[in-house]
Amino acid sequence: MVDFLQNIVDGVMVGSGYALLGLGFTLIFGVMRRLNLSYGPSVMVGIFVGTWFHLRGAGLLAVIAATLAGTVLANVYVDRLCFWAVRQRSAITAVVSSFVIWMQLEEAVILVFPDRTYPFPRLTALEPIELGPIFFRAEYVTMFACVALLLAGVWLLVYRTRFGLALRAVAQDPVAARYMGIPLDWIGLGVAVMAALIGGLAGLLIAGTDQLVIPKFGLWATYKGLIAMMLGGMGSIPGAVCGGLLLGVAEIQFVWYLGAQFRDLAAYFLLFTFLVLRPGGLLGQAIVRRELAAFRRI
Amino acid sequence: MLVIENIVTAYGKIEALRGVSMEAQEGRITCLLGPNGAGKTTLMYTVAGILHARRGSVRLQGQELVGKPSSEIVRRGLALVPENRLTFPEVSVRENLIAGAYLRLTRDKAGVAEDLERQLVRFPRLRERINQDAGTLSGGEQQMLAVARALMARPRILLMDEPSLGLAPLVVEEIFRTIHELNAEGVTVLLVEQNAHMALQIAHHFYLLEQGRITFSGVPGALQEDEVIHRAYLGGSGASSH
Amino acid sequence: MSDYLIGVLSNIGMIAFLALSAYVLLVTGSISFGQQAYFAISAYGSGIATAMWGWPLWLGMLWGAALAGLAAALVAVPTARLHGLYFAVATLAFAEMVRLLLQMLTWQIDVDGTLIGPMGSEGFREIRYIYAHDISAVQFMLLIYGLLGLVVGGLTLMERTRLGLALRMIGEDEIPAEALGVNVAACKIFAAALSGIIAGIGGALYAHLITYIEPALFNVMLGVHGLAYGLIGGLGTAVGPLLGVVLDIGFLESVRAFAGYRMIVFGGLVALLLIVRPRGLLDEVTVHRIVRRLIRSDHVAH
Repeated sequence: MVDFLQNIVDGVMVGSGYALLGLGFTLIFGVMRRLNLSYGPSVMVGIFVGTWFHLRGAGLLAVIAATLAGTVLANVYVDRLCFWAVRQRSAITAVVSSFVIWMQLEEAVILVFPDRTYPFPRLTALEPIELGPIFFRAEYVTMFACVALLLAGVWLLVYRTRFGLALRAVAQDPVAARYMGIPLDWIGLGVAVMAALIGGLAGLLIAGTDQLVIPKFGLWATYKGLIAMMLGGMGSIPGAVCGGLLLGVAEIQFVWYLGAQFRDLAAYFLLFTFLVLRPGGLLGQAIVRRELAAFRRI
Repeated sequence: MLVIENIVTAYGKIEALRGVSMEAQEGRITCLLGPNGAGKTTLMYTVAGILHARRGSVRLQGQELVGKPSSEIVRRGLALVPENRLTFPEVSVRENLIAGAYLRLTRDKAGVAEDLERQLVRFPRLRERINQDAGTLSGGEQQMLAVARALMARPRILLMDEPSLGLAPLVVEEIFRTIHELNAEGVTVLLVEQNAHMALQIAHHFYLLEQGRITFSGVPGALQEDEVIHRAYLGGSGASSH
Repeated sequence: MSDYLIGVLSNIGMIAFLALSAYVLLVTGSISFGQQAYFAISAYGSGIATAMWGWPLWLGMLWGAALAGLAAALVAVPTARLHGLYFAVATLAFAEMVRLLLQMLTWQIDVDGTLIGPMGSEGFREIRYIYAHDISAVQFMLLIYGLLGLVVGGLTLMERTRLGLALRMIGEDEIPAEALGVNVAACKIFAAALSGIIAGIGGALYAHLITYIEPALFNVMLGVHGLAYGLIGGLGTAVGPLLGVVLDIGFLESVRAFAGYRMIVFGGLVALLLIVRPRGLLDEVTVHRIVRRLIRSDHVAH
């Protein structure tokens, strides 16, 4: 029982990182109706930029700033090339376009960083916290706290500001939004920057916990974010968070009870079952309808 | 007030508008009639900057609109109530209305609140539903929301694309009464309609658009009115054999 | 013909099957991120048949492709009603499950004194049929292109039948297709099975040419490349995906100057191409125009 609870605690902590990646995916998808396969690789570029500064002796704040800036630049590049330039065209073209740019980003990073792994600074040096029989790793607690704060911020931004209203308007009806004078191009750019900042933070927290970075982080982050988004329901912000947490808890429980090799298998099994039985995800029936319209012509 | 001159808009090689010229005069209701596929909605999209004209000009109080982005066109005082209403279904009625004033949301909070109150006085039913999602409203209520949302932009001219589409006759009458009232308050209206009978009751001036061209213009009550109505409903010039 | 050229041409041919299998689904309006699964299933299935059970090559390939087709049909039953991204991600999830299960598959038997069979993530070595039977690289390349010709020819013929029309109609919009009496679910399952078989032929050829396969080869990169080739070459005809493969493998991979930068060049070129031609080089309109011109010059000639 203690194991089970400990697994849930660890799962929620790990899952909060997935939740951030899912949140970035769902923002881009929800507003722009585009699947950005290069989202994970953009974050990977960001943490490698951070590492570049770290290797040259920069302080933690500089590394954080560099990571966020690198992610934003990479993601804006993807957004302008794959989505802005082909935005009026078909969704499948944009997906494939974002895939080839992923290949490009990965190769560019490997050219600059040819080794298999590189170090990343630790974000916190606190001792683990013990509450009765349950352990809380300090890195995880930091991650969880950051995620909770960020979510509150995102919620305020989306539901309490002019930019947030514009986001929701574009998400629900881009044509009507243009009639209101909402500039779609700028909203698209704003979403790309916002998603990149969220992803960059996720990258910082995850790389800071592992204290290393690898080029395959891009693939990993795209997978985790995509699964978190799909489990929760595409385009749903609370859905992405629930999806990320569910994914984290499921992974840890499966690893504990079945073994490490079942971690990813369980995640994909969960995803496949969800898609077949409940394609709208945990929260998000209405999204299915709209997504259908967006993808009708591929 | 709004002068459209020789507008050509094409989808690929197919010209949907083949040189359309018309005018909406200040303080009046101008009505554009025409059968399905005549290019009415294309014209509205072109004027609002959603589609780009290949040739021609659209001037609002002397200022050229062709080539301007839609946000700029809204800023110049042109608001459009789109066909099929296009409200934001999962956003509350209040926020739908506020979105209508998007361009001055940060600069003019007091003005936006004032306008919001004005629309709620005009459409009491929206006040009852103020916190509901727009998607839960009936068709007629959504049309009122779309009109109110367009008015939130404080337009000099209001373009309405088929406001009666898919609504029950009683609701249609209510919508047309609203248009009439708005006009009486001084709003210039350009109304696109297929429901020619209703539209001609409130219009000061009308045009007939057929196959991408203006084929008739006049004032209601003119001799050819029956033929115009016939052609607006049925399309083609089959009516000319009468 | 140099060995290098034969190698490149054989590669192009084998990957073309994967691109064609993704193309069959694209035409029906489905995006699949998971065609690599059927490629893998057949590679393993046919490898097991020839290397472990001693079956002849043709039977092993038939068995592998049939397994792949069956798996694709079974996956299509629950996923046929999913659209767009949902279908794409469901196929991705399935393909990753296949890859992870292959990583756990350890099954070796004694064949003439050596242990042969899949060894989990270590892979599956010694699929030596073509070497044991003295099939030369050129002969095998001819086999690849013979089968490829059959598949492309078959697909081109199918496009002209009622079935082909039904598939294109479903790709345009399912609802009117259904209204016209097309059995949409059956057509989609058929298209999935066909795409599985085509990918399977490629996978079986691949296993026997390379002689060594491992689960990591069949990751999402392989599948999405297959998908991208269809879109680069164009969705108008079955030749489109082949053009995509030739452009990438034939041109970029073979030009040594791009070594180390290939993906940067490829990625940039494709992204720009898709801005200009969002449905690929040979899109429907282009194909239509070419066909019309051919017919016209035919008339002039007579």
